[in-house]
Amino acid sequence: MNTICGVALWIGLTLSFNAQAEDVHFPASVEPARHLIIEGALESEVFTPVLAAFHATHPDIELTYRNLDTRTLFAQYRDQPQRPTADLVMSSAMPWQYRLANNANGDTLGNAIDPQWPTWARWRNELVGLSFEPVVIVYRRELIEQIGAPRSHAELVDVLMTQRDVLKHRVVTYDPRRSDTGFTYAVEDARLSPQYWTLVSALGEVQASLTDSTAAMLEGLESGRYLIGYNLIGSYAYAAAARNPELIVRIPSDYALVNQRLALIPHNATHPDTARLFLDFYTHPAGQRVVAERTSLGALSPALSGKGTAASLRAQHGDALRPIQLGPGLLALVDPLKRESVMTRWQREFERAQPVKSPPGTAPEPLNLPAHSTGEHHDTR
Amino acid sequence: MNVTTSLHRRLLVWLLIPSIILGTVLLFQAYASARDGANRAYDRLLDASSRVLAEQVKWQQGHLWFDVPASALDMLAPNEERVFYTLVDNQGRFVSGNVELPALPRRSLPDTHSYEFAAATIEFEGMPLRLGVRRARLSDWDRNDHFEIRVAHTMESRQQLTRALIEGSMLRFAGISLIAIAAAFAAIRAALLPLRRLRHAIKARSAHDLSPLALPVPHEVRELVNALNELLARQRQARAHQQRFIGDASHQLRTPLAGLSARAELALRSQDPTHWREALTAMLATSNRAARLASQLLSLTRLQANETPAEKRPVRIDLLARNALNTTLAHQRHRTMDFGLELPESPVIVMAMDWQLEEALANLIDNATRYGAQRITLGVTAMPPALWVEDDGLGIALDKRREVLRPFYRGQEDGQGSGLGLSIVASIVEAHGATLHLLSGADGKGLRAIIEFSSTDAEHIL
Repeated sequence: MNTICGVALWIGLTLSFNAQAEDVHFPASVEPARHLIIEGALESEVFTPVLAAFHATHPDIELTYRNLDTRTLFAQYRDQPQRPTADLVMSSAMPWQYRLANNANGDTLGNAIDPQWPTWARWRNELVGLSFEPVVIVYRRELIEQIGAPRSHAELVDVLMTQRDVLKHRVVTYDPRRSDTGFTYAVEDARLSPQYWTLVSALGEVQASLTDSTAAMLEGLESGRYLIGYNLIGSYAYAAAARNPELIVRIPSDYALVNQRLALIPHNATHPDTARLFLDFYTHPAGQRVVAERTSLGALSPALSGKGTAASLRAQHGDALRPIQLGPGLLALVDPLKRESVMTRWQREFERAQPVKSPPGTAPEPLNLPAHSTGEHHDTR
Repeated sequence: MNVTTSLHRRLLVWLLIPSIILGTVLLFQAYASARDGANRAYDRLLDASSRVLAEQVKWQQGHLWFDVPASALDMLAPNEERVFYTLVDNQGRFVSGNVELPALPRRSLPDTHSYEFAAATIEFEGMPLRLGVRRARLSDWDRNDHFEIRVAHTMESRQQLTRALIEGSMLRFAGISLIAIAAAFAAIRAALLPLRRLRHAIKARSAHDLSPLALPVPHEVRELVNALNELLARQRQARAHQQRFIGDASHQLRTPLAGLSARAELALRSQDPTHWREALTAMLATSNRAARLASQLLSLTRLQANETPAEKRPVRIDLLARNALNTTLAHQRHRTMDFGLELPESPVIVMAMDWQLEEALANLIDNATRYGAQRITLGVTAMPPALWVEDDGLGIALDKRREVLRPFYRGQEDGQGSGLGLSIVASIVEAHGATLHLLSGADGKGLRAIIEFSSTDAEHIL
């Protein structure tokens, strides 16, 4: 039932995205004007403070930001488009963004990146990681009173197993089939611990709702429809928790994936120079201070410390943080056969304890993968 | 190459050019082997990675099934290379991968048909890639289809390793080159040292020192020193000859001058004007002789000092003989002497210096008049071209005909000649490459002098 709602919601969002991308616009206040168009899978609400600060230092740049979903972004840039494109592309779907850069869709970043920028967040000077966002568990405050708060993956499994009745239909997580971000987390989770499959079957047992975005999960949590959300993007969750005291964000104490927004300049960018200016601003301490103080993206620059920086997160959570490695291994996640292989397993674990009946929309799709389709498998939305 | 460039440079060029060519070849070889080494090293990554990938290929639900292990892809990039992989089924059809990598180029296929893994460098979408291809087969119970795993990465790490290896070779090569160049310089210097010593020895000599060079020299240079010493010996001889000539000349001039002084003193003692007149007449004759002697000496010196011979021009010797006769007749008006001229009908032309031939003819005619001739005949023959003068005077004895050519040798002890006339003629004849014949005149009386030119000189003109 819930999944049907999720599908409906997703379709609605997609339609609205396709009809009119969510734009943020800063007109130039100085002539002659230069232009910068950024396309990203990052909510405008989170990103706007950075854009505003950049615009304040470069008032001659007319700045447009379009918030698109990761699949739209990838589809637009995957085959070296010859038409003029946006100047900077950011995405939280790391494997797909890496695939773009690996197949030479990105231009060089020049000297834009601060030399102090951590090397594990850079690749070939074509791709740069701009954020440090832990993947978190969010729950409602009332959960503590009812059954106590899970602090780690193990405790979450424990709670799911023991409090099945309370939690039935009230847990939400990513649907890895519909969300690339969710799929990435599933694969990384499975790689880090075989216990993940226990968690999946536990989620299946409470008939957890599956959605395609953190925003949808947060909406359900805020409205009280869900008690626990698993694998939410930290930056959005912190922003929501700041608005709503009922929500509590928890970085799992055993391990927590850390996601990065990867940015590249498409090789056919119309204004690559202003894109480099933006990256220059973003990675140097002035921009990083804005990132740390006014966003929840996590400032990576080693020059900064304190609240809102990667350094402080590392200080608090230490070894538990597992940043998703920026490397060729990410390409495996884009592989359609790999995807089918993981999804088959996921589906099996999720439905292990469920009645055989499969409601439309969540049914495991027959695995009739066209063996000779070219590349990534993106149509299974 | 210009022969006048320095030996130093010649040696350097001939030592260095082959070295440079050889060095370039060696460097190319070093580069090729460095590249092969780097390829061998990094091809192992392709090999291992494709092996891991191949192990993950299964047959499931009617088609090839592939669970790409992330670690295999991570392994493909030792640095920040772009990596590509493709799974191809037994029909060569694309099954999965992030690009469709091509098959191995035919030229890079291993010799054996049943290879498991092979690698090659290819160009793919504008990128140079190293492509590794593994052929494997399914190991299921019911299927054993072939399939191919193709992996590739960009070449940055290989290029880096190649560069590191080649830099080592370059450094060693540069060191060896420097040593070789230094050695070449030293060797050339040492080899040319005898020449420098020779130069110093020659430079340090005074202008009068014509003694032979006594230097320890290698046998290549000894030839040169021998030649130099021969030249010096000739110089010594020439100088001795010159000194003797100057001595003779002084002596010859002193005699008439002493005579003049004695005669003048004698005349001064007398008060009789007729004695004075006699003395003056005698003194005029003596001083005329002395003046003639001086002018002959001058012309002989001029002939012998003429180091760069004047340009020869075509000269009509028949006209020359006629003119000489006319000049003589003009000067000899008061004498009673019989002059004759015998000329061929056509003009005779030889390459010569006309003023010298005039001088020679004048001397021969003068000689004839001084040694008692009554009849003098000038003549020209065409074949071979020759000038001749014949007289009926005293002639020259057969055994003296060679000696009369020496300066200051007189045919007659009491003669009026200076002893230079025939020497001058001989010098001129020699300067023209001609031959001087001294023969007896008609009826065995007198002298017939023939200046015979080489016929090539004449033919050259005709």
